[in-house]
Amino acid sequence: MILEVKALTKRYGRRKILKELDLTLNGGEIACLLGPNGAGKTTLLRALAGLASIQSGEVSLDGEIIDFKDQTLRRRIGLIMHQPFLYENLTGLENLRFYAELYQTNQTGEALKTALERVGLNPSQEDPVRAYSRGMKQRLTVARALLHDPDILLMDEPYTGLDQQGCKLLNQILLEEKTAGRLILITTHELDYTRQIADRFITLHLGRIADEFENHELSLDRIQARYQAITAPREIAAQEPK
Amino acid sequence: MKNWFKTVRTLVWKDLVQEWRSRDMLTAMLAFAVLALFIFNYAMELTPANRAEVASGTLWVVILFAGTLGLNRSFTAEQDQGCFDGLVMAVPDLSAIYVAKAITNFLMMVFLTVLVIPLYSVLYNQSMFILSFFTVLLLGSWGYTAAGTLISGMTVQTRMRDLLLPILLFPLLMPVNMAVVKAAGGILAGLPASEISVWIRLLVVYDVIVSVVGVMVFEYVIQE
Repeated sequence: MILEVKALTKRYGRRKILKELDLTLNGGEIACLLGPNGAGKTTLLRALAGLASIQSGEVSLDGEIIDFKDQTLRRRIGLIMHQPFLYENLTGLENLRFYAELYQTNQTGEALKTALERVGLNPSQEDPVRAYSRGMKQRLTVARALLHDPDILLMDEPYTGLDQQGCKLLNQILLEEKTAGRLILITTHELDYTRQIADRFITLHLGRIADEFENHELSLDRIQARYQAITAPREIAAQEPK
Repeated sequence: MKNWFKTVRTLVWKDLVQEWRSRDMLTAMLAFAVLALFIFNYAMELTPANRAEVASGTLWVVILFAGTLGLNRSFTAEQDQGCFDGLVMAVPDLSAIYVAKAITNFLMMVFLTVLVIPLYSVLYNQSMFILSFFTVLLLGSWGYTAAGTLISGMTVQTRMRDLLLPILLFPLLMPVNMAVVKAAGGILAGLPASEISVWIRLLVVYDVIVSVVGVMVFEYVIQE
């Protein structure tokens, strides 16, 4: 599976967030998108999920240009954004059952409990989601995103709120999904954890791909140094008094 | 098509369970309706002669304004919990979201109407337990929720959504308001069916047109 992004441009008003961006992602690969706040990472994920309209450019999957009005394609994507897409007054199990019915996965109660167990949530947990901690919500969000066996996983800062055990568990799950051939794109600032699983790092800066390299090519220090070299001038300039 | 109905059922179930557990919308709608009924009761000095004339209008205004509170919340609650994108990603057909929201809002309106009618009857000493009268209110409520759900879906992504909803919705509801008040008032006044039927036909046509338009355009309305 190959997802190709060609000359993708996204504007909010007059401001160009993504500027003729080109990107290729492969199935069975974990790509990690780095970039400072405001670089356009979340916008890129929303555009790839069809949630944000694009002004120009095209996205193709296995050579076929994607029509973002096609719900069939959206349903092949597992999406994790800043907000967990969970209903506070439903229990964890009810939330999963709700999404399983929307995705028509025909999963039984046992299968849903197994999905909860996979992310380390007690299947007998019958509390409403509003009683969950941030980390528990994030675990449930991961279970929700994987529920329908999506071909593509788009994850915006998936480590947010997770404790160390949760981060390790997420890495283990992502490696399993990678082995199953999923195309995985993660945005994160947690280099320590993504270093353990990523195949490729891509740095997004000022709406363009500013850097791209294989994980094994560089040490953590070198990655951080390269990242700083690309992104620092802009941050310093932004902090300077006018 | 079977899957579409199943999706609608799932969405309605979720909305009703959420509402049953939080009671956010119903409490606000009911509190507003009761207060409005009391205020109207004190503000208007009704005599046995003019009581029937104003009854349908007063009751419909109370239901309409109370319903606006619920409409405002129906999509806002999804947005606040960050779930709207989740729905868009998951449903096989986006029109199912519109229909499910309209059904939920309609059920809220029916529940509200069932509670408000006895209260109105007691406060204003005006019997309203007439099946045809209730049917007119149901037809009006569906037209109201069908149009309101569509506009609510449109305004939810704007910053001024609370203000925009009534401003955009109320002009669209003019035919419904007129037909409900005339038909329901006619029923209470004991007018012959031939004089009332034109308003009921108007309600039915309005309901059908708005529902069909809603199903057709909803996916474009909610796009960024």
